[in-house]
Amino acid sequence: MSDIFPKWTNRLPRNIIIGALLAGTAVTGAVSYYFTPKYTRVGYEPIQPVAFPHSAHVNQLGLDCRYCHNGVEKSWYSNIPATSVCMNCHNQVLKDDPRLALVRESAASGEPIPWVQIHKLPDYVYFNHSVHVNRGVSCVECHGQINRMDEVYHAKPLSMSFCLDCHRDPAARLRPLDKITDLDWKAADGDAQLAQGKAYVHDWNVQSLQTCSTCHR
Amino acid sequence: MKTIPPPCHEPETGPKYWRGLDQVAETPEFRQWVEREFPAGAGEWTDPVSRRHFVRIMSASFLLAGLGATGCRRPVEKIYPFAKMPENYVHGVPQYFATAMPSRRGATALIVKSSDGRPTKIEGNPDLPDGNGGTDPLAQAAVLGLYDPDRAMRFALNGEARGRQAALDALTKLSETAGDGSGLAFLLEQSSSPSRARLQAAIAGKFPKARWHVYEAVDLDLGRQTASLAYKTPVEPYFKLDQARVILSVDCDFIGSEENAHGNIRRFAQGRALEGKEDSMSRLYAVESLFTLTGLNADHRLRLPPSLIVPALARLALKILAPSDMDGKLRDLSAAAQAHDSWIEPCAQDLKTNAGRSLVLAGYRLPPAAHLLAIAINEALGAVNHTVEYHTAPAAIDPDLAGLAAALKGGQVQTLVILGGNPAYNAPADLDWPQAQAKAKTVVRLGSHEDETAWNAALHADAQWDLPQAHFLESWGDARTADGTLAPIQPLIDPIFGGITELEVLALIGGLTPSTPYEIARETFRSIGGDSENAWRKYLHDGYLAGSAAPAASVRHDPSALAGALAQLKSAPSQGGLEIVFYRDAKMDDGRYNNNGWLQELPDPITKLTWDNAVLLSPATARRLNVDYRKRGAQNQKFFEHTVEVTLNNRSIKGPVWVQPGMADDTIGLALGYGRQRTGRVGRGAGFDACKLRTSDNLYYAAGAVLRDTGDTSYELATTQSHWSMEGRPVVREANLEQYRKDPAFAQKMKPEKPPVESPLYPNPLDTTKLNGLHQWGLSIDLNRCVGCSACMVACQSENNIPIVGKEMVGKSREMHWIRLDRYYAGPVEDPQAVTQPMLCQHCEAAPCESVCPVNATSHDDEGLNVMTYNRCVGTRYCSNNCPYKVRRFNFFDYNRRPLDHLYKSPLVTETDGQWELLRWLKNPDKGNLPEDQWQLSRLVKNPDVSVRMRGVMEKCSLCLQRIEQAKIAAKVKARDSGHIRLSEKENTVPKTACQQACPAEAIVFGDTSDAGSAVSKAKKQERTYTVLEFLLTKPRCTYLARVRNPNPLMPDYREHPMPRTTEEFNSGPFSSPESETEPSGKGAL
Repeated sequence: MSDIFPKWTNRLPRNIIIGALLAGTAVTGAVSYYFTPKYTRVGYEPIQPVAFPHSAHVNQLGLDCRYCHNGVEKSWYSNIPATSVCMNCHNQVLKDDPRLALVRESAASGEPIPWVQIHKLPDYVYFNHSVHVNRGVSCVECHGQINRMDEVYHAKPLSMSFCLDCHRDPAARLRPLDKITDLDWKAADGDAQLAQGKAYVHDWNVQSLQTCSTCHR
Repeated sequence: MKTIPPPCHEPETGPKYWRGLDQVAETPEFRQWVEREFPAGAGEWTDPVSRRHFVRIMSASFLLAGLGATGCRRPVEKIYPFAKMPENYVHGVPQYFATAMPSRRGATALIVKSSDGRPTKIEGNPDLPDGNGGTDPLAQAAVLGLYDPDRAMRFALNGEARGRQAALDALTKLSETAGDGSGLAFLLEQSSSPSRARLQAAIAGKFPKARWHVYEAVDLDLGRQTASLAYKTPVEPYFKLDQARVILSVDCDFIGSEENAHGNIRRFAQGRALEGKEDSMSRLYAVESLFTLTGLNADHRLRLPPSLIVPALARLALKILAPSDMDGKLRDLSAAAQAHDSWIEPCAQDLKTNAGRSLVLAGYRLPPAAHLLAIAINEALGAVNHTVEYHTAPAAIDPDLAGLAAALKGGQVQTLVILGGNPAYNAPADLDWPQAQAKAKTVVRLGSHEDETAWNAALHADAQWDLPQAHFLESWGDARTADGTLAPIQPLIDPIFGGITELEVLALIGGLTPSTPYEIARETFRSIGGDSENAWRKYLHDGYLAGSAAPAASVRHDPSALAGALAQLKSAPSQGGLEIVFYRDAKMDDGRYNNNGWLQELPDPITKLTWDNAVLLSPATARRLNVDYRKRGAQNQKFFEHTVEVTLNNRSIKGPVWVQPGMADDTIGLALGYGRQRTGRVGRGAGFDACKLRTSDNLYYAAGAVLRDTGDTSYELATTQSHWSMEGRPVVREANLEQYRKDPAFAQKMKPEKPPVESPLYPNPLDTTKLNGLHQWGLSIDLNRCVGCSACMVACQSENNIPIVGKEMVGKSREMHWIRLDRYYAGPVEDPQAVTQPMLCQHCEAAPCESVCPVNATSHDDEGLNVMTYNRCVGTRYCSNNCPYKVRRFNFFDYNRRPLDHLYKSPLVTETDGQWELLRWLKNPDKGNLPEDQWQLSRLVKNPDVSVRMRGVMEKCSLCLQRIEQAKIAAKVKARDSGHIRLSEKENTVPKTACQQACPAEAIVFGDTSDAGSAVSKAKKQERTYTVLEFLLTKPRCTYLARVRNPNPLMPDYREHPMPRTTEEFNSGPFSSPESETEPSGKGAL
């Protein structure tokens, strides 16, 4: 009978339990790291149909974000500019540049330029740009330093916990309303940020909204 | 295991209400049904496919799903911005445009929301001087009609598509060859459009011999025709119901099916509104054969078969009119109604006592003589210019469809132009319209659908052009509202299917310039509102032309018309056989809304039937004819109705019986608009066609019908009536006006049950979190204002992307409406009173649903809303189980993505547009398995501000959370760094919920209860305020204001209390008249 259960089988239950625990830990760890937007989305940098360098337009030429994304203060959606907006300048500047061929073509034909979407929230999340940029939250908080990007990439995870980090502690991020689109601006130091943030929270009546209905409808 | 709840004691106070006949009869099925938490099938796998079989099928799907998961990278999506930005357009910000929905004699002025270029929500125009923004269900549902995938979408000659230009050329050619117009006939719908009248006059001038006819299956124009006769000048009546203290409706459902019902409701509710015990309210008497919404709201109701309605009116006239030489004829007429003197006498007295503040209304079903009689009575009561005004109205075209049919058959009409309408379906059967229409050489037909009147392979004219009609949301035009105010119709979208408007067709046939509808409407406006561009723009912006309402005409009554009409009046129909009432359906109208899913699924306000019409019979008549509801088929806790055959003058139809309490005995009620032969995918198979029984001389009433039981008891009617029984608890509370004055807080004292505990066992987390909330939202519903019109239900469906589920699902109690209108009967089965109560999520502060949710999908926000987070929901349905108000709705299927007739079919065995469903799904999991056209159109009507819920998710009323959040965001955007972010009614920043906005009676008040000055706070302070099921200590944020009736103590059916309080009281009271028979259940008549 001893042939059926050799001696090593005595250790089997213990090994199985340890193995299961280790495997469980590994799976949990892997899921919580790899299955989050922090891993899956951050760094996503698709090639756009027109190589539009934000860095050149913002840092070198000093364009404000709202020159092109002009709906951001009025709508939930921050619009991608129409081709006609590009052509406001580019019918004078670099008017024959081959890199802008698609833009000219679009302006002539009326066919839109097929930009590739980078930042996208699930359909059941109702994020609103206007309420953030009008109340002291800068573009940079969610999009990163677009002003330094040649090709735009996904800089922040935009996961629910990422949203909540700020919603739980708005004072750490609020800035003067005239610095919203100044993506290089920073408070002098952490304490200064916190002090002014607290003042804004109080003076502007900023709420720390964390109920489900804030974003889900 | 099923747990049977302990029996609930009948309340000590408060009347006894019942939901349906099964409850009264205490049938075993009903008991079993009540004892269940949910009706059979509402929560069960009742499909013949067994669980085991299901798992076997699904295991294959899981395997394939595993394969699919390897590619779980998010798909690349493109953003297509404009090449050239349109002016004043901000992506994501909805735009609102004023327009109007034309109706037969008037129009409803509207404000329509356009989300990124597609109309998504219709609301009434609140700025209109004669309006409050309230609408009716038909207007609310019109936006779905725009996206109807079965609309006519091609220009066809003899059933073959020919292209738009060919059709327009044919019209132009018609115009060139018409000569003096002989042989040319026009058949139009009624319209209040000045542009159409102008074009018509121009064409009539050009083709003087052309014939003009107007056809409506249900003609609501009789009031205008008879008033014009009685006053010898073209006028139409305009009723000021808010000014009236005593109203008598003679078969006039002015709250439900008459023209301008929402306007009537607004004024009627104003006259009934109570704020304190000093206020007075109007009194409504109703004489009718069916049980209508007007009868439901009446303080006294006399049910009479159709043959006795004119006699009853004549009897009333004798008591009110000054003696004249007509009295002899009136006495002859009225003899039949002598038995009802005890009712008519005090009613007449009440009308006389309140002379100058009383009003008599006659309905569209009555003959002209009855209308003239009502006008004479109103004259005698001094109502003119007090409770009714007469406005100058343009003379209309003579209807005379029979004349046209005769001319067609006589070969006098070569070219027939049919603009709108569907005579082949709903013209009187004796005209044999399809035959008549086929006699014309050429038919030009403009129709919204390719329906019965469209080209028919079996029977057609030599050449028939079918032109697709543009929806009013795609059209330029104009109309006049009930009080004569000019309102623009302006398009929100280009015609989706390339349709054209009536004005264009007329202009082309007349060879008139300009021929574009915009230019036509613009031209007409020049003659009314002046040439100024600014005036035109203001008119389009406001949605009406200020000051264009018709002034009250000074009129002189001429009784000779009445004498003439009375002399012509046929005597009461011969006795014997049953009488029939044909009525305009509350949802389908005359069939024109047949393919609208929201309306098909909307429960009828009285019968609560969906997706069907029925042969309505009173309980006694049903019993006499042996088609009683107790004898219908029952299987698997479902009921199946008797199918009967109704024969009238050798024409017969078959349909299921529905026993309707409160109907007149020996009377059959038949709703028009169902049983369409050629309709779309939604309307197909709904109901039976009652038009087949109608003939020219029996358009609304008929006598001598025979009803035969076919013996078939297998037809299932999907009703919401018996669902959600309230088990005798005082859910609805009401009192008579005197009682209310004596004890204004009566509703708060009607508490039958004591709470099991004095206060909740645990502290409510909301008590602390609500301190963070800027506002505290609440709702107050005034049952005294609510008339039960159901506009709120469709408004909610439109605003909140609520799917339709189909007849089979409604039959399983799986309807999805977030707000429903409960209708309770009280009193004897034969002649009950009824009340309606809007029921929606009560937003309990101590919500039972929240404590049982294992995943926190339903929770409270700090402003007191009970919110539902769809993306958390895993579909346990515990919340719905624990909800005492039964207002939670579960998505048993993916109603938004699947055709309703395929719900049970596995994707393994279905095809979508000819492709195997599983393959289709692997290629594009985002698309549903609806056919492509249906899928694309169904997406356009969705509100982008509300999540579309999928299968397995619970949903319920959110108090229009999206509107609240948008209003809060707008306030914050405006505030910027000021800190002034609170919404307030003073600044007009508090949003309205969709139901509140749509309510013409202003019965629903939403607002911030933490603001003492808000309307909702004031409403909640009224003494009539009560909470439904308050003994459960759920502390709802939604409260009700009790209903108050205003009966006349001199009437025979007067009772101290609105309804009998107990069975004993009922049995000893005057309600136990000999006619009302005893129920066999051993519980007396109740």
